[in-house]
Amino acid sequence: MLLLPAGAALPSCVSVAAYQKVYLNDEDMKLATKTVETPETNFESYREGAGGANGGKVGGGCGCN
Amino acid sequence: MKTLLLPILALAALATPARAQTGTTQNPNRIDGYGAPVSPSVPVSRAAEETTIDIIGGYYQQDGSHGAVEGGRGTQKLTDVPPAIIVNVPLDTVSRLTANVGADFYASASTDRIDFALSTPSSYDVRFHGDFGYSREHKYKGTIWGVGAGVSKEYDYSSFNVAGSFAKTSRDGNRQLSLAGQVFFDQITLIQPLELRPGYAGSLTGKGDYGSDKRQTYNLSATYSQVLTKRLQAAVSTELVSQNGLLSTPFHRVYFRDNPDLNPEPTPSGDFAARFPTAARIESLPRARFKYPVSLRLNYYATDLVQVRGFYRFYNDDFGIRAHTFEVELPVKVTQFFALYPFYRYHTQTAATYFAPFAQHSVNDTYYTSDYDLSAFSANKVGLGLRYSPVYGITRFRVPGQDGQGRPRVMRLKSLDLRYANYWQTGASTYSAANRADLKANIVSFDLGFAL
Repeated sequence: MLLLPAGAALPSCVSVAAYQKVYLNDEDMKLATKTVETPETNFESYREGAGGANGGKVGGGCGCN
Repeated sequence: MKTLLLPILALAALATPARAQTGTTQNPNRIDGYGAPVSPSVPVSRAAEETTIDIIGGYYQQDGSHGAVEGGRGTQKLTDVPPAIIVNVPLDTVSRLTANVGADFYASASTDRIDFALSTPSSYDVRFHGDFGYSREHKYKGTIWGVGAGVSKEYDYSSFNVAGSFAKTSRDGNRQLSLAGQVFFDQITLIQPLELRPGYAGSLTGKGDYGSDKRQTYNLSATYSQVLTKRLQAAVSTELVSQNGLLSTPFHRVYFRDNPDLNPEPTPSGDFAARFPTAARIESLPRARFKYPVSLRLNYYATDLVQVRGFYRFYNDDFGIRAHTFEVELPVKVTQFFALYPFYRYHTQTAATYFAPFAQHSVNDTYYTSDYDLSAFSANKVGLGLRYSPVYGITRFRVPGQDGQGRPRVMRLKSLDLRYANYWQTGASTYSAANRADLKANIVSFDLGFAL
C-alpha cells in the first residue's frame, strides 16, 4: 500500500507525447504477463504459498491436487 | 476492508482528468480462467476494432517426494493439459465482450493415495471453467468500466465469481490507475482419507455421502502505471485478498510424533498401517486468511535488439508466509518479426506457522499441515520463449459468414508464441535433508493468436 502513493508521486517528471511512444508501444513493453504465460502463472499459484499482484489466480477454483 | 478501500478510492481521485490513451496497461483484459476481466485494457495506439481469439495450450508435468495426501511424503507426480480459448469481441467503438473458456485435464498420483488404491475418483479429473466480461470505454474521460462473472467446476470443487473494474488514464496518456474487485464463492466436497471417514469400512460410496463446506475469497487489486521516459515505464500493484471458510484440504493427512492412537485396521488392498504405526488426522488450518502482496514491474527498451522486462513482488500474509519473487526476461528481436526471450525467475518464501514435515507435529497443536506448498523453500525457473508475428500474419483462411461490406470473412493467424520452462524447488536448510522440498516441474505452453 505504501508503494501506491509513492507511485502516484512519480509525477509527470517527463511528459512523453503519443508520437514519442514508438518504443513504449512495442509488444514486449506491455506491463503485464503474456497470455502464453498463463499456465505457468497458474501452477505457481498452486505450488507456492505466496501469490498475487501479478495478474494470476488469487482465489476460486481448484485443480490444485 | 473499509479502511483499505478508502485510501484506494482516494488514489483514484488523484488520477488526473484525462481522455488520452496510454501505453501502460498492467493487466489487459485479465480474464485468466479464474476471474472476469478485472482490468480492461486501454488500446495502445493501435487498432482494436477487430475480434481476437487466442488458443492457449500446453503440457505440465511435475514430480517430488512430499505429497500432502500422505502427510508430507510420497509422490507428487502430476500432469496437466490446460487448453483454453480467449475471445475478445468489440461490440462497437466503446464496448467489448470477452470470454475465456477452457479445461484442465489432470492426473494426480498423490491424490490417488486418498484411498491407497489406484483408481479413486480424483486420480484423473477435469476442471472446466468459463469467464465472461463486458467493458465500456469513455474515451473523452479516459475511463473504462468493466463487469464480469465466471464459474469453474471439477469433481469435488465448484466456484462462482463476480467482478467489477475501473481504470482511468491521465490526459497525456502517461499514467493509469486501475482498480478491481472480485468475489469468489466456492463449494468444496469433503472427501476425506479412507481410514478417517466416518463410514470407514466401505459404507461411503458416492460423492453424495460426503459433507460439504464453503469458502469465500474477496480480492481487491489496484495498479498504478507510469511512463518514466521514452524507453522506460513502470507499474506498482497490490492485490489484497481476504479468504474465509474452509482453507484446508479435506484429504490431506497429517501424522504426529506423539499421537497415542494406533492406525486403524488395514484395508483389503492395504498397506497403510505399515506406512506409519500411529493414526493420521485431517489437515487443520484457520478459517480466515489475509494476503497482502505488492509488486513492481519495470520495462526498459534498451536497444532495438534487446528489451528488459523486470518484476519484483513482496508478499506477506497472516499465515506467517513472507516471500520475495524476482523475474527478469530479455526479449531479443532476431528479426523484425521473430523474437526469442530467455527468462529467469527466483522465488523464496518462509513457512506458514502451521507447517511441519512428516510426523513432526504434536497432537496438542491447534492447526497443522504437512503441505509443502506452505513450507519454506526457494524456487528457480529458467526457460525460453519465442514469438513469431509477421505484420500481415502467418496465414489466413476463410470462415463462414460475411463482413459488413458483404465480403467473405477471413480469419488471420497473426502470431505464434511458444514457451518452455524448467522449475525446481529447494527446501530450506532448517529442515533435515530428507524433509526438504524437492519438487521439479517442466511446462510447455503455446498461444495461437487469431484475428477476424
